Amino acid sequence: MTENLKGYKGKGKELLEKNKIEIWDIIQIKTSEGDYEGIVLPRTEYSAPDYIEIKLENNYNIGINASDIKEIKKIGKKEAHYKIPEKKFPTSKNLPNIILFGTGGTVASRLDYTTGAVIPSFTPGELFSAVPELADICNLETEIVFEILSENMRPEYWQQLAQKVEKAANSGKEGVVIGHGTDTMGFTAAALSFMLRDLSIPVVLVGSQRSSDRPSSDAALNLINATTVATSDIAEVVVCMLGSSAHDYGLIHRGTLVRKMHSSVRNTFRTIDDIPLGIIRERKIKMFKKDYRKRNKLETKAQTNFEKKIALIYSYPGMNNEIIEFYVDKGYKGIAIAGTGLGHVSTEIYNSIERAIQEGITILMTVQTLHGFTGMNVYSTGRELINMGVIPGRNLLPETGYIKLGWVLGQTSEPSQIKKLLLENIAGEFIDREIPIAFNYNIDQLLKDKKL
Amino acid sequence: MEEFDYEKLGLLCGLEIHQQLDSKTKLFCRCPNKLQGTREPDFTLKRFMRPVLGEMGTYDEAMLTEYEKEMTIVYEGYNDVICTYELDETPPFECNDEARKIAIEIALLLNSNIIEEMHVCRKNYLDGSVPCGFQRTMILAKDGYLELENGKKIGIDILCLEEDAARKIITEEKTNFFRLDRLGIPLVEITTKPDITDPMECRECAERLGLLVWSTKVKKVLGAIRQDVNVSIKAGTRIEIKGVQKLDWIPILINHEVSRQLNLVEIKEELQKRNLKEEVLPEKPIDLSKVMAKTKCSFIAKGIKSKKKLYGINFTGFDGLLGKELMEDYRFGTEIASKVKSISGLKGLIHSDEDLKNYKFSDADIKTLKDNLKTKQGDCFVLVIGNKKELDKAFNVIINRVKYAFKGVPPETRRALDNGNTEFLRELHGGARLYPDTDSQAIINYNEEIKVIKGDLPEYPWDVIKNYSKKFKIEERFIKDLIFTGNLTIFNDLIKIYPENPTLIITTLLETSTALRRDGKNIENITETDYKDIFTLLKKKEIGKEAIEEMMSLKADSPELSIEQIKEDLKIESISVEDLKNIVNEIVENNLDLIKEKDMRAMGPLMGEVMKKVRGKIDGALVSKELKNALQIKLKELK
Repeated sequence: MTENLKGYKGKGKELLEKNKIEIWDIIQIKTSEGDYEGIVLPRTEYSAPDYIEIKLENNYNIGINASDIKEIKKIGKKEAHYKIPEKKFPTSKNLPNIILFGTGGTVASRLDYTTGAVIPSFTPGELFSAVPELADICNLETEIVFEILSENMRPEYWQQLAQKVEKAANSGKEGVVIGHGTDTMGFTAAALSFMLRDLSIPVVLVGSQRSSDRPSSDAALNLINATTVATSDIAEVVVCMLGSSAHDYGLIHRGTLVRKMHSSVRNTFRTIDDIPLGIIRERKIKMFKKDYRKRNKLETKAQTNFEKKIALIYSYPGMNNEIIEFYVDKGYKGIAIAGTGLGHVSTEIYNSIERAIQEGITILMTVQTLHGFTGMNVYSTGRELINMGVIPGRNLLPETGYIKLGWVLGQTSEPSQIKKLLLENIAGEFIDREIPIAFNYNIDQLLKDKKL
Repeated sequence: MEEFDYEKLGLLCGLEIHQQLDSKTKLFCRCPNKLQGTREPDFTLKRFMRPVLGEMGTYDEAMLTEYEKEMTIVYEGYNDVICTYELDETPPFECNDEARKIAIEIALLLNSNIIEEMHVCRKNYLDGSVPCGFQRTMILAKDGYLELENGKKIGIDILCLEEDAARKIITEEKTNFFRLDRLGIPLVEITTKPDITDPMECRECAERLGLLVWSTKVKKVLGAIRQDVNVSIKAGTRIEIKGVQKLDWIPILINHEVSRQLNLVEIKEELQKRNLKEEVLPEKPIDLSKVMAKTKCSFIAKGIKSKKKLYGINFTGFDGLLGKELMEDYRFGTEIASKVKSISGLKGLIHSDEDLKNYKFSDADIKTLKDNLKTKQGDCFVLVIGNKKELDKAFNVIINRVKYAFKGVPPETRRALDNGNTEFLRELHGGARLYPDTDSQAIINYNEEIKVIKGDLPEYPWDVIKNYSKKFKIEERFIKDLIFTGNLTIFNDLIKIYPENPTLIITTLLETSTALRRDGKNIENITETDYKDIFTLLKKKEIGKEAIEEMMSLKADSPELSIEQIKEDLKIESISVEDLKNIVNEIVENNLDLIKEKDMRAMGPLMGEVMKKVRGKIDGALVSKELKNALQIKLKELK
C-alpha cells in the first residue's frame, strides 16, 4: 500500500490509506470550501506534507489540504500506460550508416501529461516519428548504452563508450553520435578524445539545454546537426551544439577544448583558447580550422586504461594543507589543480605539495581562468612549484587536465614517461599559439574572415 | 441583424476574460512590468518551434496545424527590461507574491474557492507567442459566481494566474515578429460557466467582470483587458471567439455566429436532401496549369508563366452551396478561403458559385475547366493558384473543410473582426497540451493570508456607481467611465479637494483628457499629483476653471514643469471682481457703436473681447454676469 502512495506524507497519506485510495484513483472530495473531482497523482518526495494532489478534469493539477476534507470517495481508476507508435526508420543505400549511442540524456522524448514525466524515445522508429529529418541524413541505428544522469558518469562508462565506438568504427559504421547530458559532456568528450587516439570516423557528442518535451527545445536541431557532422570527414571526438541563443547554427568543438560555460542557455558550449573547428547551418558544414584529423581507413583502437585514484581540486585563498594531505593519505596517484592566475596556489600549502610529490603523486597545474596558459616562470612562486616537480599543464582546461592525468597514469607508472606523456599533445588539447580572437571570438566575424 | 429566438435555439455562452495585473515585476522573473510601446527593440532572436509528442504518442491537432505553416519566429527585446528568462534561457524564479495576492482578491470578489496548493502547469502554444512554447499557468480559484443586475448568478468556473504572451508586431511572409516586453506580465484568466443564454446578458456579464477587475490593482490601459466569447447552439457546436475588443461587439458577434452555425446546419441538411455522401468527395485536386496556360484571366496566366500551378477540384452536387451566405457578406466559400489563407498562406480561392466573368475567364476557359474537372450541372468547382507545396496544403484544407459540411459546424477557435463577423484562427486546442511544470515548486495559499485579503475587499463597482451617482448627482454612466478609464481613484482624491463641482472633475478627467489625446498630446505625462495641484489652485481661486485645459496641455508637452511653474508661465494670476468690473467697463466704453447697433446681441462679441483679457484668471460665469450687468446699465443710459 505505502508504495502506491509515493511521495505522500502526514495527514494526506493517512487519509488516503484510511479510505483505501491509491494513486491513479479517480476521487470525489468535499471540503468546507467546495467540491473537487480528479485523479490522485503521485507526489514528489520534497513537497509539503498533508496535501492530496489531484488532476482536475480540465487537466490542471491542484493540491488540497487533508485537514479541510470532509468527505472523500473513490469513483474509478485511470492509470495510463503509453507507448509511442513506432514508425519504421526508412533506409537508403545512398546514405551513410550512423549509430546513435544513448547514455541517458533525452534528445527526443514524449510527455506523460499527468505527471509531467519525460519519457525518452530512443528507438530509430521513435526518433523518426519525432525528428523525421534524420531519415534524409543517414541510416540510423540506436543503442542504449546506459541510462544515467550525466553527473553520475564514471571512468568505467567512458571506457565502455570508447570500446563501443571502436567496435562501431571497425564494423563499418560511418559515424557515431552520442546522446549525453550536457553537465559533464565536456569531461566525456575529453576522455573519449584521449582513449580514441586512433580514430577513423567522426564521434559527435550532443545533448539539449531545453528538454525535448517543450516546443522550443533545441534537441531536434542539435540532433540533426550532430548527425550531419557524424557523416562529415572530421574523424575526431567533437561536441556539436547550438552556437547562439537563436535556432540558427551549431558549432563543432574539439573534445579537449570544449567547456560548458553557462548553467542554462542554449549556446552554453564554447571552445576555449581557440576558435571552434567549424560551423553547421542548414546541414552545410563550414570549417574554421583546417588542422583536424580526416576520415581515414586505419583501424580504430581504444586505449581505455584510466587511473581512477586522481582528483581535481580548486585553488582558493585560505586553502589548507589538510586538503592535499587527505589525498596523499588516501593513496591517490595524481592531482590536477585549477590554480589561480598563471597557475598558483597559496604558499601555505607548499609543504603538502612537496610531500605529495615525494610520495610519488603526480601534480598537474592548470588555470582556473580557463583561458590562457600556465606561466609558472613569471613569478618566483611558480618557479618554486616547478622545482618541487609540479607539471605545468599549459593551456589545459582543469577538466581536460584531470582527464588527461587519469589517462596518462592509466598508460604508465614510470615518472619520466608520465611527464613526457603529460607534456605531449595527444588529442589536440594543446594549442601551439593562441590566436588573438580566441578569447572573445564572434561567429559573425569568423564567418566573414576569409583567411580562416 | 437577424432576429433569433435564442431560447429556442438553445444558445449558451461563456466568457473568458484576461486581465493584466499591475504588480511591480513580472510573474516568474524580476523584470519590470512595463510595456515599451513603439520603442525600437535592442535585439532580435530567431527561433523555430516543433510540436511535442503527446502522452498517447500523437501530436495535438492544433499544434500540427501551426507547425505546418512553417513559420519562423523572430523575437524582439530590450536589454533593460528583458532577461534570459523571457528568452527561455533560464528556469523560472519564484512566483510573484504581489501578483498572487491581487489575483486572490479578484477571486474572493467573485466568491470563488481559493485553491490551497497551486501547481504551475504548462499550456503549449506553437504560434511563437511564448518563446518556450508554453505558457506557465496555475489554477488559483474555482466555482465562484458573478451576480447580474437582475439577480441572476453566472457561475465562475476557474480563475487562473498566468503569464501574458509576447506581443505580435507583424507577420511578414513566413515570419512572425513578437515583442517580448509583454511576455511574463501577470495575468488573471477568468472563465465563466456557460450560464449565459442571451447576447445582451453576455454583454452585461462582460461589463460587470470588467468593472470588477478594474476595481482592484490591475493595469488600466488600453489592451490590458481582453475577452473571448464561447458560443454554442443546440444544433451547432462550441466555438471560441478570440479578440473581442469592445463590449458593444459582443451581442453582434454572438448574433452573427448563431447565423453562421444555423446556415452550416442548413447546408448539412441540404446535402442530405440532395442525397450526397462524404465518401464520394475527391481525395486529390487536378493540375490545370497546362490546359489553362493561355487563359484570359491575366493573373492566372501570369502565375502559370512564372512556374506557379493552378489546381482545381470538382465537388459533385455542391452547386450553390459555396455561394450560400453564412453571415452578412460572408459565404461558405469565404469560410473555406479564409481557412486556406490561414494555413497555406494562399490568397484568392475561386469557386464556380461566383460569377467567373469577374475574373475575366472566357467562355472557352470555363469550358476547358469544366471538361478537365468533369464538372456537370449541379456541381461546384474550386480553383487555387500557388506553388506545389502550398497547394498541397491548401487542397488538404479545402477537402477536409468541405467534408465537414456533412457533419455541420466544425469546432474551432475564431478571430473577431470589426464588422461583427469572425474568421478561422486555429483548431480548438485539445486537453493534451496542459501538463505540470517540472521547473517550479508548488505554491501554497495559506488560510491566514486569504483571511487578511478577505477583510480588506473593495466595494463592488456597481454599488460604487449607484452610491456615487446619488451622492454627487452625476449620471451613472460617467462613474462607469471613470472606472473603465482607470480614473476612479483620482476622482476620489479630487472630490476631497474640490467638492463643489463633481461634474467639472469628471469633465476634466474624461472629456478634456480625451480631447487633448485626440490632439496628439501625451496626457500620460499628467500625474495624479498634477491633477491635485490644479484643483488645489482652483479651490484657492488662483486660477479659473477655463485655465485647466491649457495647463493640462502644457504639462503634457513639458512633463518636467510643475503645475506652479506652468501657472506662472501662463501668467495666470487671478483678478479680483473689482478688476473685472474695470475691464468690462473699459470694453463697453470702447464699443459704444456696436452696442447701439446690436443692443443686447452685442453680448456675444463683447464676451469674446473680455475673455481675451481675463481667460483663466477668473470664472467665466462671473464674467458673463458682470458683462450682462454693465451692458444693461449702458443701454439704459443710451436710451
